[in-house]
Amino acid sequence: MEPKPPRSQGPSAWESVKDAFPFGIAPFLILLLTVVSGLFLLAVTVFHGPAEGKAGLSMWTFARQHYVAYEKARPSFERKYATRLDLQSVHGDAVTRRLRAAYWANLDLPDVVEVEISRAGSFFRGPEGGILFADITDFLTQPDPDHPQKRPLIDRIVKTRLSPYTHRGRIYGLPHDVHPVMLAYRADLFEQLGIDPNKLETWDDFLREGRRITVPEQRYLLNLSRSGSWAVEILLFQRAEPNSPAGYFDADGQLIMDNDKAVDLLTWYIPLVKGPGRIAADPGMFGQAFAKATQDGYTLCSFCPDWKTWGFQHDMPQLAGKMKLMPLPAVRKGGRRTSTWGGTMLGMTRHCRDRDLAWKLARHMYMNKDDLGERFRELNILPPFKDAWDNPAFHERRPYWCNQRLGTEYIRLADQTPPQYTSPFIQLAKSKMGSVVANCLSAYDPRRPAGLREVVRRELKAAADDIRRQMKRNPF
Amino acid sequence: MSRRRTGLFQLQHRYAPYLFVAPFLVLFCTFGLYPLVKSVVLSFFITSGPASRIFVGLDNFRFLFTDPDFGRACLNTAVFAAFSVFLQLPMSLGLALLLNRKDLRGRNLFRLCFFSPRLVGMVFVGVLFSLIFAARFGLLNVALHRLFGASLETDWLNTKPLIMPALVLTSLWMYVGFNMIYFLAALQNVDRTLYEAATVDGAGAWQQFWHVTLPGIKPVAIFVIILSTIGSFQLFELPYLMLGNSRGAGDAGLTIVMYLYENGFVTGDLGYASTIGWTLALGVLILAIGQMYFTGTWRKEP
Repeated sequence: MEPKPPRSQGPSAWESVKDAFPFGIAPFLILLLTVVSGLFLLAVTVFHGPAEGKAGLSMWTFARQHYVAYEKARPSFERKYATRLDLQSVHGDAVTRRLRAAYWANLDLPDVVEVEISRAGSFFRGPEGGILFADITDFLTQPDPDHPQKRPLIDRIVKTRLSPYTHRGRIYGLPHDVHPVMLAYRADLFEQLGIDPNKLETWDDFLREGRRITVPEQRYLLNLSRSGSWAVEILLFQRAEPNSPAGYFDADGQLIMDNDKAVDLLTWYIPLVKGPGRIAADPGMFGQAFAKATQDGYTLCSFCPDWKTWGFQHDMPQLAGKMKLMPLPAVRKGGRRTSTWGGTMLGMTRHCRDRDLAWKLARHMYMNKDDLGERFRELNILPPFKDAWDNPAFHERRPYWCNQRLGTEYIRLADQTPPQYTSPFIQLAKSKMGSVVANCLSAYDPRRPAGLREVVRRELKAAADDIRRQMKRNPF
Repeated sequence: MSRRRTGLFQLQHRYAPYLFVAPFLVLFCTFGLYPLVKSVVLSFFITSGPASRIFVGLDNFRFLFTDPDFGRACLNTAVFAAFSVFLQLPMSLGLALLLNRKDLRGRNLFRLCFFSPRLVGMVFVGVLFSLIFAARFGLLNVALHRLFGASLETDWLNTKPLIMPALVLTSLWMYVGFNMIYFLAALQNVDRTLYEAATVDGAGAWQQFWHVTLPGIKPVAIFVIILSTIGSFQLFELPYLMLGNSRGAGDAGLTIVMYLYENGFVTGDLGYASTIGWTLALGVLILAIGQMYFTGTWRKEP
């Protein structure tokens, strides 16, 4: 029997494969995985497109409550116009960032987007052709195709609410709201302390009562800011008159935050929050500290635009039947009894593929009388579209507010709402105003009140000069 | 076999490394290098949107150095960085020395306790400390009131001179324990025989610390100092969260990165924001080199 030949000593198949990879198989597999997954993602992006692309329209909103309301209105819009709406809720700060980043990178922008009032101005910074939002002036000024017998829409909207979204004479945003400001007060404590709100017609009357009932560190009549700009701007806007503007900017976009009206206001304001004549504390206007201060009766009154009434109801349900609203005291008898705080605009971006459909969406969300009535019941926000105000929902009694007719109260003040003109530098101006308040407060010595006016003038001028330097640099 | 090695094998041997680093390079160039180069270019423009930009040469830099807001931001950031280096790091080192003692009972528990603030996110810390510093109802005010009868109305986050102390306190709470870990690791690597020798030579505790401990942990200490300085100059989230997306009373909470963010994403001038970014980067680089020089990093040991 012949011996078997020895088995081949050559490399096995596996070894042969391994030999082909001088750095081992693992790095090759990782590389392969990277390339395949990269190509897959690329293919998905190219052929499938982003989610928004599949919808007829895409819309972003930054307010959760708005989102909930629009979700309800979405099916009827989709049915009516046989389209699909991709509605997204995006955080307020993120809206600005994402819009800007997407615009810069030429990526998909939403067709329609809601922007908060103080952020809107920054989008008007470039030349007319470079503004992110489409000009909607013609939609508003042309005869209304749905109601040809009625006046154009621009005449049926609270006019002053267009001012924040108007730039170089063109309108870029449809206002969502009016936001007249009233004072929300603790009706039960007012009664206990013998304060008659009907007698608080002017700020002088208000201060007199404030000094009577204030107990330092225990009870103050009003909630005012010691460092931010919100309270000052409410009071500043209230002082605006047709030929004597007040606020941050005038109708031409010129900075006016250091004019005599602002000096007068701050000279009056600072002693309200510091010194022996103080009638106000600053627990903030949001969150737990504010709620606790209101519940404890630490502050009896707060500025309350329509949107804030929802916050009271939601955050302080135990105050139901104890809260009431009154108009702001006027600067002088017969003067304006309101101001304005906050706001939202709806804009169409330049990337919007179907502007007519986007305008229909805007009208559906902002001008549908029935929906607006229902929305007011839920959110208490008064729309600027006056045709809707005869909806009974705006005139119902509200148990939380001691059976006051919430809508009726705000509607009464709506046409008095002052304009607030905007500028790309509005955020900077607001921030500077907050600093001015803080600096004046630090410098104010209640024992030497005479020097306050000069301090205020100096601080306002320094802040305004900083902003003017920035504005001067802007070549657009 | 040898045929393979001279053909495909050779080819792969030459090009495979490039292929392996290619995914990283592609991603780095797209998302790292290109934006960096682009931001350098942008810093010479005033911008507003992709189609609206005007070349201004060095004007952005000229404006920056006369911009009072940038000056304020630099000052605030420098104060914060100074506290980080001169207060936070000695505290971390002190804690590390304490928790390095073998005779300390429950030292592992203490280590965990001091380190744990770092385990929660910055957002959580920001929100938590906003509540702690709140006027009237905040934990700190209530505690100070009960202990010393201090006013409940001290508004830490809305009073100009109190904003920076509030930020520093928050940062101490978050980072002292974190930096302690670096020092602890360094201390455990110091040669024990050196201490024994020093004791034999009659060196006291202070002399041992000065002549044995400090030189032993010097490389780590330099590393921590540089990291803390860079981190401090990048301060953004904490004031952004605690001051409610504002500069704080009298701009006391405005930092360089906040100012950059404000210009880039609020005002919309990415050109000026890039100028701020590059100035910050160069500033931090110079500072780090200075620190390394003065701490003798490059000095050759005799």
